[in-house]
Amino acid sequence: MTRSEPTGAGAGAGHRRADQSAAKAGERRSRAAEARRHDEAVPDARDARPATGKPASPAGWRRAARGARVALHQRGWADARWSFLYGRGDTRYAAPIEGDADGVAAAARRMRLETPPPAELRGPFLQPPVWTWEVPLYFWFGGVAAGSSFVAAGCDLAGDRRSARLARAVALAALAPSPPLLVADLGRPLRFFNMLRVFKPRSPMSMGSWCLSAFGGLLAGAVSADLLGRRRAATALGAATAVAGTYLGSYTGVLLAGTAVPVWARSRAFLPPLFICTATANGAAMCRLALTASGGTPEGHPTRAALATVETLAMATELAVSTLNERRLGSLAKALEDGRAGRLMRAAKWAVRAGLALRAARSAGPAAGHLSSALFLLGGLAFRFGWLAAGRASAEDADAVVTASRSGQRLLEPVVRERLVVERRHLDPAG
Amino acid sequence: MTSPLTVIPPGERAVRRPHGDGAQRMGFFTDTTVCIGCKACEVACKQWNDLPADGSVFRRGGSYDHTGSLGANTWRHVRFVELLEPAETGYLPQIPATSGDLDLVGAAEGAADMSRWVFMSDVCKHCSHAGCLDACPTGALIRTEFDTVVLQPDVCNGCGYCVSACPFGVVARDHDDGRAAKCTLCYDRLQDGLEPACAKSCPTDSIQFGPYDELVARARGRVRALHERGMIDAYLYGAGDEPEDRLAGGLGAFFLLREPPERYGLPARADSPVQENVPQATAAGLGAAAAALVGVAMTLVGAHRAARRSQPRRRLSRRA
Repeated sequence: MTRSEPTGAGAGAGHRRADQSAAKAGERRSRAAEARRHDEAVPDARDARPATGKPASPAGWRRAARGARVALHQRGWADARWSFLYGRGDTRYAAPIEGDADGVAAAARRMRLETPPPAELRGPFLQPPVWTWEVPLYFWFGGVAAGSSFVAAGCDLAGDRRSARLARAVALAALAPSPPLLVADLGRPLRFFNMLRVFKPRSPMSMGSWCLSAFGGLLAGAVSADLLGRRRAATALGAATAVAGTYLGSYTGVLLAGTAVPVWARSRAFLPPLFICTATANGAAMCRLALTASGGTPEGHPTRAALATVETLAMATELAVSTLNERRLGSLAKALEDGRAGRLMRAAKWAVRAGLALRAARSAGPAAGHLSSALFLLGGLAFRFGWLAAGRASAEDADAVVTASRSGQRLLEPVVRERLVVERRHLDPAG
Repeated sequence: MTSPLTVIPPGERAVRRPHGDGAQRMGFFTDTTVCIGCKACEVACKQWNDLPADGSVFRRGGSYDHTGSLGANTWRHVRFVELLEPAETGYLPQIPATSGDLDLVGAAEGAADMSRWVFMSDVCKHCSHAGCLDACPTGALIRTEFDTVVLQPDVCNGCGYCVSACPFGVVARDHDDGRAAKCTLCYDRLQDGLEPACAKSCPTDSIQFGPYDELVARARGRVRALHERGMIDAYLYGAGDEPEDRLAGGLGAFFLLREPPERYGLPARADSPVQENVPQATAAGLGAAAAALVGVAMTLVGAHRAARRSQPRRRLSRRA
């Protein structure tokens, strides 16, 4: 109804007053329209797009024609070539270099490697790991699944089909929560499928993702074959699952070892075997408890007895290797002893020791055996949470990072901390 | 035709030129002897890359540095290193209170104790052996035609492995965004022939950008010039080393320093932790796992055999 008209156009002299008010109204209307147009032109949200492209991406525009010049575009980064400092001879910024024998490499070695580090270390040197509770919980579930797949393959070999079926079911039940836990830990959970975008043998996480998929597929096939009564297919698929389980149970330790976190990286030869020990023990414990709960296997059943032996041996090995590793780590083991990680590791060790003591007590009844299995399971869980917490503490500890980067990396050589401290005290200008 | 699944062979060279000889390795040479700590590079980086501010807090433990450290939203960070007179009890200056009235007199007196005050503009090193690149399970991290390491935000799913795999503490995961982020060496600017924003803004040419070989040659000349002037502590961090001393295979962004690297929050030695540790760890893990599998099977088979050996007698006695 209200049409904005050009103000004052065609206004007669006899109707000046009326025209003036009409003009004013028209002006107001046009001003409102102008404001509206302005509002529409400027969006509410700030346009955050960079001038060209977006961060880490190729520029979003195309040249009008092949080879066309772009404003401000300079070939060969010519804008970086001019300098008041080094582009001219009169600043004596750099001396002419003759050959390679200019002492540059020697100076770097002297200052970087042979001069002791300062007494006061001010980090941060590393970014602490970002992984939260989902990851150690997945490590535990994945370990139980891998251990159970070993048990299933062993039972098949021993001719105990019923226990093998049950062990595979236990493995599947333990595997089921793993993918959701891993997806929940991602910063962008909806992009979880990008994990299977590349096959990258170099990256333990890529290989772990593929291994988890393969293990899950094989295990699901084996359990289906069990349900369909296809005994030979179930045995074959179960054996393949166990082979995949060797990587599923160990790659979690490899994953931690392949980082810059001192306590993880320096345990590289020990972490994966430790994880395998707890995985085997926890798988056996879970299967043994499931066998007992399902009934049908009496107290003296050979499978149950064998699983108890496996649990005990694997956990005793874990305890021994763990102690050896901590001795070896020297001062880096501080991350495993102090704070939250220390509490978790102590809890894990006491749970394992209590379980072993219960097993050693021959007079104890079957209930004591079940209790020790439960203690081993709890110990394995606390152990994995403890290692994760230790990694965070170690990455934030500047002393640990500097010690690890300065000392050699031989397998059984203790990381010498004390020598480093003494050197620093003597040689640092601060006294 | 390309298959949807990219297979990255294990023997892939860390440095390769996917676009043939058209592109060359580009890098940064950061000369700390001419840095004045103005933090213009930080500002330019944040402006060009649209990065939010990280707040302003004086670093704990005493320092005039108030912009924290490298992180998901800080891709350039000028580190302040205050060196106090040796007579002092510690290295840390007395920093005026960060809240309330700023004590300028106290600040000036604290500054008088400093024998030297050095600055270093830290950045992603664009390593030849890049730990983040080795660790990335999605292929979000790539090596570009300029031999720089770039994280593609549209691919990253935020698994956080690159964060722990960086020996220099560069890559970080943003809490709100959920993805990892780091310096791209202004990949978008490079493609258009512009030098990276930080190097462009540096008023003293402490940050120099250019073809890698040219930069290394100039940096060597600079070290020589400083040595001739008596600054025998000047050295290059990350370039010009003997092969056995190389940092992560050689750094695409290297530095001229005059203090031990730890003063600047840098490690004395570094390599891709994935290349360093994963082969041994995998061998140890698979060996232990194979032993465990065999052990479990043998225990079970042994137990059943023993049971069967004792069972027939029982069966016979039951039949009898």
